[in-house]
Parts: sequence; structure tokens; C-alpha cells
Amino acid sequence: MSDDMVVLTVDGLEIKVPRGTKLLQACLDNGIYIPNLCYLEGMERPPSSCRLCLVEIEGRPGPVPSCSLEVENGMVVHTSTDALRRLQQTAFRLLVSTNSGKCSLCMANKRCEMQRIAKFLHMPLRTKRLRHIPKDMPRIIEEHPCIDYESNKCVLCGRCIYVCGRQEDAPFHLDFAGRGFNTVISFFGSELPGVAEYCRDCGACIAACPVGALSYREDRQRFLQQLERNKASRARK
Amino acid sequence: MTDLPATNSDELDPEEQRVLAAIEAELPSMPAGAQNLIPILQRIQQTHGYLPRGGIYLVARHLGLAPSKVFGVATFYNQFRFNPPGRHPIKVCLGTACHVKGGEIILENFARRLGIEEGETTKDREYSLERVACVGCCALAPVVVVGEKIESYVTPSKVEGIITEIEVRREMAAREEERNES
Amino acid sequence: MSPESTPSQRLADMRQAAEEQWRELHEPEIPVIYVGNATCGRAAGSQETIASFEESLAEKGLEARLVKVGCLGHCYAEPLVIIHYPGYPPLMYQKVGAGEARVLVNSFLKDGSDPCFEYLFGALEPNDTFPTLMDYPRYLFEKRVIMEHCGLIDPASLDHYLAVGGYQGLAKALEAGSRRVVQEIKDAHLRGRGGAGFPTGIKWEIAANASRHPKVVICNGDEGDPGAYMDRTLMESNPHQVLEGLIIAALAIGASRALLYIRAEYPLAVETIQQAIDAARERGLLGADILGSGFGLEVEVFQGSGAFVCGEETALIQSIQGNRGMPQYRPPYPAVAGLDGLPTVINNVKTLSTVPVIMRRGSNWFKQIGTENTPGTAIFSVVGDVEYPGLVEVPMGVTLEHLITEVCGGIKDGKPFKAVQIGGPSGGCLPASELRTPIDFDSLRQAGAMMGSGGMVVMNDEACMVEVARYFVDFTQNESCGKCTFCRVGTRHLLAILQEITKGEGSEEDLEELQVLSESIIQGSLCSLGKTAPNPVLTTLRFFRDEYLAHVREKRCPALMCRELIAYYIDLEACARGCDACVACCPTEAIFTTSNRKKAIDQEKCVKCGECVYACPPEYDAVRKVSPPEMIPDQGIEPLAETEEEDEK
Repeated sequence: MSDDMVVLTVDGLEIKVPRGTKLLQACLDNGIYIPNLCYLEGMERPPSSCRLCLVEIEGRPGPVPSCSLEVENGMVVHTSTDALRRLQQTAFRLLVSTNSGKCSLCMANKRCEMQRIAKFLHMPLRTKRLRHIPKDMPRIIEEHPCIDYESNKCVLCGRCIYVCGRQEDAPFHLDFAGRGFNTVISFFGSELPGVAEYCRDCGACIAACPVGALSYREDRQRFLQQLERNKASRARK
Repeated sequence: MTDLPATNSDELDPEEQRVLAAIEAELPSMPAGAQNLIPILQRIQQTHGYLPRGGIYLVARHLGLAPSKVFGVATFYNQFRFNPPGRHPIKVCLGTACHVKGGEIILENFARRLGIEEGETTKDREYSLERVACVGCCALAPVVVVGEKIESYVTPSKVEGIITEIEVRREMAAREEERNES
Repeated sequence: MSPESTPSQRLADMRQAAEEQWRELHEPEIPVIYVGNATCGRAAGSQETIASFEESLAEKGLEARLVKVGCLGHCYAEPLVIIHYPGYPPLMYQKVGAGEARVLVNSFLKDGSDPCFEYLFGALEPNDTFPTLMDYPRYLFEKRVIMEHCGLIDPASLDHYLAVGGYQGLAKALEAGSRRVVQEIKDAHLRGRGGAGFPTGIKWEIAANASRHPKVVICNGDEGDPGAYMDRTLMESNPHQVLEGLIIAALAIGASRALLYIRAEYPLAVETIQQAIDAARERGLLGADILGSGFGLEVEVFQGSGAFVCGEETALIQSIQGNRGMPQYRPPYPAVAGLDGLPTVINNVKTLSTVPVIMRRGSNWFKQIGTENTPGTAIFSVVGDVEYPGLVEVPMGVTLEHLITEVCGGIKDGKPFKAVQIGGPSGGCLPASELRTPIDFDSLRQAGAMMGSGGMVVMNDEACMVEVARYFVDFTQNESCGKCTFCRVGTRHLLAILQEITKGEGSEEDLEELQVLSESIIQGSLCSLGKTAPNPVLTTLRFFRDEYLAHVREKRCPALMCRELIAYYIDLEACARGCDACVACCPTEAIFTTSNRKKAIDQEKCVKCGECVYACPPEYDAVRKVSPPEMIPDQGIEPLAETEEEDEK
């Protein structure tokens, strides 16, 4: 066996993956699905904030997030114990409790990560057991010239922030703002005159959103025109 | 989320323009580097009492950071405020001891007396009202910080006394001024 | 001074001058007045006291030395003054306001004739005339290791600290070297006083063995528990002790950078510590070559901007780096990769304040105090309904009962004890049946509470446990950084349920949901803020279930605290005609005169502030509080007709 490979057991199945792989990635690559939201392939230090990818590892106390753990030789992993399922279901219930659950009206309908997880965990998308507690703010926040942000759909996974930060040569970033329950994704600064120069309208944030909390507003056309004009003026210089 | 006043650069009041100009002048003397973000925001707030929205852009430019990053940091911490405080900022302590001793009632009494809610400033900018989580004087609960002064064992009737005292001082100062002018 | 002299010799030279100064204070030729002038003293009016002393002394043309000291921890007695008049033992006076200060000058300091027994607390030293502090149970049971000099030395004077043995631990450490310092702290079984009780020596060893350089040591003074203030007191009253501990820690792990992280809400602590750093640098106790040992260190102060979560190590590091203070997944632990990826040790103020004492007196001495698993002392800020609130330092292993009844004088006004909340938002509420619990990390955790920050709120039967749980959850959900699901949304749901219960809108199923949700939050949260946030809920559910049931079944608050579930009324039998005391105090003009010229409360206008209860003269004591509000008896009240009211005027 090559030194670069690690063998571990997941739910009784032996898998062999390259050393340094995150446990979650190893499982996903081998057809073992673990619910997850905040992880993206290639992340060096995943935020491990959504708390859905929790697994149990023999010999270690408590559930651990598989996204943040590197595989080790001989690791024995359980991904589907009753205790884990209960925790994942609670996390899921909490995440959907801010939202109205009107999937048919959502542009992410049928490709929403939450729908996939709901199916996997056998959970309804509208929690009955917990109260519906929307965030204390307008339903749609129009900070960006052409992107709408729906805070109650948002699960604050931070994927959009991660992908925006990785766009090369893009001085504009989006970031978290506020704190606690009312944390939001903020495009602060995007209303600055000439922001179109910063935001390349690459759409990466919208594409990265697992739940459709970010979407183009109708006046996107105007924004694109502005973008073109900026490009043209730069070219003239 | 954003308790920032929606300001459009065309309609900035002269006071805010003055503050922004001052910040712009101060920034070059402040150290660069992202790790200085919080100390810089603290210094601006200490000097001007608050962080104007435009100031966040200026700091972002100074440190070469995205405005959203600076905004994200500023909105994370309790210390930072985005509208000017009153000349007599009133901070009601709602630490554990003060809470048990009726701190909420004291806060309500200030709110009623001043006609503003927590987190607001009176129209004449004389008073602002906020809650703080423990000023560390638990044995003297309930405690209120008025300006720099800590008032201990506050009761609803003492609330009246505190405001009256400030009003009387103001009145006296105004008369003094009048006398000097005439 | 010869260039080859050892750190101890260099220190001894420095001490000589310091001790001379000290002798002048302690065998005084002119009176010395010490005034406690830390934040708590100032809140009680010590600045006015100082001004009054200065003024009165000047008026009388008297000579005396005024020394501004820190805090002794006797918060109930502030402003606290110690007067050392030549020929008398040092005498401590309590509640010395501007007026009392004047009297003390006129009667005592004038000629030493009348030591003003009426304000006297006790003498600091044994003598034949005055009661001494040791006659008080508090002094008998307290064991001051960390706070030994707090309130007795001038925090602005490095010489005072040197005179009481300061920096001797550092000199010893410099001579012993890193490895032996780590060993000494390990031998002492010192456990981190920040809350979790992790062995300090092991933390240091991990960082000392880490291969990356440079290394960093941080003093965590981000005291965020809304009921604890011992870190502030230590920084304000004996800053050099904190600093000495920090330098020793840096030496132990081989750090070249040290930071003091202090809450911005503690401006006086920031100022005092900064002063201490400057003084230490000036005397060669900091800088490139500390006491000629070749070891160098610079210390910076970083002001925390007010986020409870920054007490968590990884969040604290994030905030120093200029980020949002959001905790990160561990491992890697900061001792391996912390600030800027460098090995970083973070120790609490109390932990670092203990270090110099251990170095000076040895681990064997330290281990004689406290318990086997947790040697040393614990500092608690005991507040709430006790007779003598304040800071107390007791050996580990003392029972809660002992601490509350003996050291703090029991419950105020002879009321019954109901519960004690320990450890702030991460801790729990313990009932009378748990008072035998010894105070140490492990016993408290077993009881469901936590040592936490050492905040302790004692409550009598007027405190509602549901409301207390709601308060703490309100606090933590407000302070949640918002990163992980369980803490961000979970605590919000806990709060919603508790709010409904305190309003009488809860159901028995809600209690079940509280329990289940709490357990999930503990298991699933990312950092210790979330993992401990449900403790106040779980302990109150466990020990005070009846009270929850009264709220959900009968819509009644047995402690008469939840404002939505209580009402005030005036007992017409007890109310006196013509007395207007309650009318004058009511902030909402809810009290009116009845047809028989007594008083009644308009329930629509009443905001239930309770001010009328205090205003009603004790000989009538006519204001009653009931729960649920429907319990107000029908007294056949009719308001006084308006014409009559006119007549009355």
C-alpha cells in the first residue's frame, strides 16, 4: 500500500483515500452522503458552522464535524447512528425555522440543498415542532445594485463569501455583518458610485448559494450596461 | 440589521461632513495593516463618539480592505455605534446583579422620561439611551452610567433626580452664558 | 552594580529604595490616608471623598499623605478608607463619603483625639483598643493569595509592589530557566482560572515544545460575564502582579511577544495596566534585557471591543487579527497554532496573577492550599441578596454554604435563601439542597453549574428561576457570534420559549422542548459559548421544575417577579386617608384617590415598577403584590368624584 493512501472504515465499509483528505470529502467521493452546507471542496479550514456533517468516531468523545477532520489510518467512522440523526434533524429544523417554507415560490425549488437534506433526513421543510421565527429585518435586502438577498432563506453557510474572496483581482468582497441571530450577508459598499468597477458580476456568489437566498434583481440589465460603460471608459484610458 | 442611517452623500448634514473631514485628516497618522482595524475604529469612535457610514469607507481605503469587511467587523462588536450619541449618554447596566435588582425597570423609566427607546438619541441630541452588559460594579446594583459618572443604587425616583440634575445644570449654564453676553 | 550580577541581586538593589518608601508609610510620622479608588470605589463616590479630604486638610492646615489604592473587595462598605495615624494601628473606615471625610479630618486627623468609632470597620493589626478585621468571619475564612495586596498598595507605584515582594518570582524564574518554570507550575497543579480549569503547566509545555517561532503569550482580561469583576479588580489594584505573571509565562514558553487583552469597557484597568507597563520598562523589568538576564519581552495592550464570545480563545485571536470574533474549530489548538499561526498561550488574569506567588513561594506551599485536584484559591464576586456583597478569595474546596453564610454574612434582611447562580451565563442555578457542594472545578460541574468566571449571584425567594434562566439565555443569544446553527438559532428558540413561559403563554410541552433543545445545543455547538449556554436552563429545569409548572399550568409566578403575571393593588384596610406618598412616586400617574379618600391603582396605567411598595410608609405597608393578576380582590373601589377632588384642593 502506498504511503499516500489512508484506509478507514465508514459505516462498516472500508474506503481508501489520499492522505490529507477531509473526512467529509472522502465519504462523498465514496458515495456515502453526509448532509452538509458550509463545506466546499478545496477549503483549507472549513468553517464547520452548519453542524450537519457531524459523525461519530470510535475512541473519540462526542460528535465531530467531518468537514474539518482529516482522514487517519484505521479510523472507524459512523455517519448514521440514531443520536447523529437526531442532532442533524434538530439542526435542520433550526435552519428552516426562520423561513416560510414556501418552496414553490422560490427560484431554487427542486435544486435546493435543503430539499435534498430534507428528503435524506425525512424531514418536512416547514417545521411544526418549532416556532417560525423570522429574522428581525426586511424580507429582501437590496444592498447590491442588482442582487437581492433574502435573509430568512439564508443559512449563513458563508459559501458566497468564500467564493467571492477567491475571485482573482476583485477588490470587492461580500462579508458577514451584524452578529448572532441577525447575522446577514452584506454587500456593504456596493452602493458606492462606480461599484460596477469592483463587482465583476461574475455571479459566483449566486451560483454558490445552496438555498437561493441570493438572486438577480430585474434591473440587472441596467447594471450590466453600467458595467459595459465602465469597461469602455477604462479601455479609452 | 443595519442601524446605519441611510445617508446619501449629497444630503450629509454639515456635522457629519465635518466629522468625515476630520477622520480623513487623522487616518494618515494611523498605522496600516489589517490587524490595526479594531484599534483604528476605537480611536475614531473615541474622538467622534460614533462611526459615520462614510468613515467606514475611509478606514477601508486606508487599510486596503473591502468596505464590507470593515463594516462586518464594526457591526460585530458591541462597542461601536453608527449614530452620534447624546451629549449626556445614559447607559443602563443590565448585568446579572442589576437585572435581579430591577435594571429593566430603570431602563424603562429613562425611556419614558426621555421619550426615546433604547439605542436612540433625543432629537435635541442631549440624551442617548443604551443598555450595557455589566460595568463591574455589581455590589452597587442597579447601576447607571451617565456620561462618565456611575450612579449606584438607582431607583425609578432617582431616575427623575438624575435627569433633573442635568436639566438644572444646563439651565444654570445657559443663564450664566446669558449673563456673560449681556 | 556589577554587570555580572544576577537578576535577584539587581532586584534586591531596586528593593532597597522601595522598602525605605514603604517604611515611611508604615511607620508614619505624619498621618497616611488610603482611599480605595478603583472603579467600584469611584462608583460609590471615592473621588468626592478624596476631594473632601484634600480640602478639609488644607482648611485646617494639616499635613497628611493621601494614597490612592485599589480595591479590597468589600464592595458593600465603599468608599473604604484606611487611616494610619502615628501612634494608632491602621484603622479602616467604611462608607466614607465627602461628609464623613470632613468629620474624620476635624475629629481624628486634627490631633488624633477621636478616632471616630461610629465609622470604624476595624483595625488592620492586633491591638488592645480596637476590634480587628480578624474578628470578622469574612477575614477568618478568607485566604488571600492573589488578592493579598489589593487595596493596600498604590497600583501606580512599582515601588509598593517591589516592597511587598513583587518581581521576586520573576527573578527566580529568570535564574531557573524555562524548563524548570514549566515544571514548577506543573508541580503546583495550577489550573486555569478562566473557567474550564485546564492545567496551566501542560498548556505551557505544549507551547514550549512547539517548533514554530516566535511564540506569543496573551493575558485574557476580556471579562464578559455580566456579574463578575475580579479580573478588573486585579488589573486595577495590583497591575504589576498580572504583568509579572505574564512575563514569567513568556519566559516559560519562550515567547517574545506578549499581549494584554482588556475589555474596552474597563478604561481604568487599561490605564492602570499601561502605566504599569511603562514603569516596568523604565526599570528594566521589561524590554530587551530583563534584569540583565538576556531575556527580552515587549508587552502591548489590546482593547477588546465588547463581545462576550471573545473570552473564547480562538475568537479572541480572531479579534486581535482584526476580524469578527468568531470561534474556529479546534484542533489546531492555539498552543500549537494561534495568533498569526504562531504557538500561542492564553491565560486568564487570575491564572497569571497566581503564577508570581507560586514562583516566589514554591509549588509545595501552593499545594497546601485548596484541594488535591485543585490547589489554590478561588475568587468569587458574590453579589445579589447577601449581607456583604463583594469579592472574596477562599481556598478551593470550601462549600457554597460556608461561603454564603459565613463569609458573606448570609441572606440580607433575614429572608430565606432560594438559589445561587454560579459561573454566569455558562453556569447554573443551584438550590439549597446543593449548598454542600465544595467549590472546585469538578464538583461544580457535577452539580450542573460551572466555576466559569467566578460570578456568583445569591437570590432570595423573590427571584423567579424561570426569569433568571430567561435572562441568561437572552444574554447568550445576544452574544452568540452567529456562526454555528445550534447556538445562533437554537438559543433564539430557547429564548422564545422562555419568554412565552414568563408571560404565562407556555405549555407543558414547552418544558420538554426546552430540555431536548438544550441537550442538542450542548452536543452540537462549535464552541464553549454554545456548549454551555443551556446550563442555566437545564439546572433550573432540574432543581426548580415546580416553578416552571406554576408558570405553565396556573399562569402564576410564585416568586412574584414575572411582570406579566403579577399585579399590584392597595389594601384599603391598610391604606391611610390623606397620605400621598405612593401618588408622588408613581412614574405613570397610575394611582388615584378613591371615594373614601384612600388610594387605588389603575391597572391599565400601572407598569409594575414596584416603586409604590417602597414609597408606602412602613407603618401602613398597604401595597400588595399578587400572581396571577386575577387574584386582586374586589374592594368595591370607586374613584373620588371630580367635584370633590376640586374641593379637596
